[in-house]
Amino acid sequence: MAAPESGDGNNGAARMVTLISSDNTRFEVEAAAASLSQTLQLTILDGGGGGGDGIPLPNVDSATLSKVLEYCIKHAPAAANGGAPNATAVDRAELERFDNEFVNIDQSVLYSLIMAAHNLEIEGLQSLVAKKVADMIKGKSPMEIRRTLGFPDPTPEEQAEMNAHMLEYGWAYE
Amino acid sequence: MGPEMEPPGMDLDEEEEWACGDDAEDQFDRLPDAVLLDVFNRIGDVKALGRCALVSRRFHDLVPLVDSVFVRVDCVIPDDVPQPASPQRLAAAALAAAAAAPAPALAPVATHAPRGGRGGALAHIARILLGGISRPIQALGQILSPAAAAVSRRSPPQPASPPAPAADVSHHSPSEVLRAFKELRRLHIELPTGELGIDDGVLLKWKADFGSTLGSCVILGASSVSSKPPLSPATPPEAAAADSSAAPPDSNRDSEESGALPESLYTNGGLKLRVVWTISSLIAASARHYLLQPIIANHATLDSLNLTDADGQGVLTMDKKQLQELRVRPVSASGSSHRTLMPALSMRLYYAAHVELPGGTLLKGATLVAIRPSEDALREDGGAGAAGSAANSWISNAFEEPYRSAAKVLLKRTPYCLEMNSF
Repeated sequence: MAAPESGDGNNGAARMVTLISSDNTRFEVEAAAASLSQTLQLTILDGGGGGGDGIPLPNVDSATLSKVLEYCIKHAPAAANGGAPNATAVDRAELERFDNEFVNIDQSVLYSLIMAAHNLEIEGLQSLVAKKVADMIKGKSPMEIRRTLGFPDPTPEEQAEMNAHMLEYGWAYE
Repeated sequence: MGPEMEPPGMDLDEEEEWACGDDAEDQFDRLPDAVLLDVFNRIGDVKALGRCALVSRRFHDLVPLVDSVFVRVDCVIPDDVPQPASPQRLAAAALAAAAAAPAPALAPVATHAPRGGRGGALAHIARILLGGISRPIQALGQILSPAAAAVSRRSPPQPASPPAPAADVSHHSPSEVLRAFKELRRLHIELPTGELGIDDGVLLKWKADFGSTLGSCVILGASSVSSKPPLSPATPPEAAAADSSAAPPDSNRDSEESGALPESLYTNGGLKLRVVWTISSLIAASARHYLLQPIIANHATLDSLNLTDADGQGVLTMDKKQLQELRVRPVSASGSSHRTLMPALSMRLYYAAHVELPGGTLLKGATLVAIRPSEDALREDGGAGAAGSAANSWISNAFEEPYRSAAKVLLKRTPYCLEMNSF
């Protein structure tokens, strides 16, 4: 099927684009939502991703991509308002509630999201997931941080090295 | 760290070649540096960052690159170093001047005027104020150390050899704690309390910005804050706030209607009290500013610096341009005290017997003081006819809601003007 160029269909329904995950699942979304990704934005502006073409995303699996798109669809209207200066307090509270729910997820999913947000350069999502990880780190000792993030126990060499740094950062324990 | 296991269930492994951490064992250690640094920049709290630096070699290398740090000062030790009497004298002098000039007028204040303070509110505030000046100095001099600091301050000088780690964590200044951070751009330090001891129910907030010296200061005060019985929902909060000054039956003096200071304020000590608030706030601000010098000197990359307190009393800010100014033109101390010399100041004091805040809170004896160096005030007023809401935005925007609304209401009043000499 011939892909209609971007000029067509702009007046009626919102323009759609197709994204293809690493495991070959096709996702059709509004161009406005997909354009929250800086990486995709240029391609989409050039008319890419329409019709049968689709934009391949070899770095993002379908489970992660569907999660990412859930975020983009929710945030696209506010983003279209230029950071939503007109948004009501209710709208903002709803987005905040959504965001909190959104990152209430398994660590492996969180990791995939961080990588996807980074690769696709979705600014809001990047800061949302980074803040989530930051919150996981706060208020914990180095060993607790290691365990929280799933690091293996330190090797004796590493332990010795960290002990040596204790002097430098001793104040962090008061 | 040897390569051990692949994270199960993820097929992201082949996606990118990370700058480092390729041999790491787990997902989070394989995050690119830029992503980890983004995470660290959102931690803020300096102690959490310090502990983070001890997680792994890679974390230890990355944490010093963090550009945004928040230092919460844990404890403040009262200083018993006798302070020069000047603050008390200043307050007294300003009061004498205010009393001598009951009409809106220029009232030059001599810094060495004889003591003219009379009991009551003045004595009370001035006493607390003296303690207040010294506290932030201590706070920034030795912090992050409950208990131990208070003891060690009295004890003989520490031995030159580095003490054992356990003893080493006794007290640390922000300068010391921040030394590791070489790329600091945004720094926020929070004192545990505001310096100004104020009675229950009294509201006093200030916001000041500094370069080499004071750029501007806005003070909002009220002699009492009370929550009003629920409003009739018919009145929108904004309108209620705007009307409230005229509405309450007990504030129906003519002078009140016209926005000038009510006559009683000159005679009942109300004005004096407000001048004391003003000077106390300015002294607290200039003492805070003075303390920041070593930190600014150590961190050439800084472009935003805030010094606040957990009580929400005072906010000191310095932006990029102001930090640059201070680096070029060093701070002058006020005499032998540990605070920045204030330039000659031009003040406008706005008063309303009642101001209702959007949340329904009622401020009684609400006072707004807008302060700028006389030099700047002259230049701007002499230039293109200042005034107008745009020219006053620095005043109304100094505070967050609901106090912003109060400031806006007060700004509509006729100001009482006061000039102060450098102090």
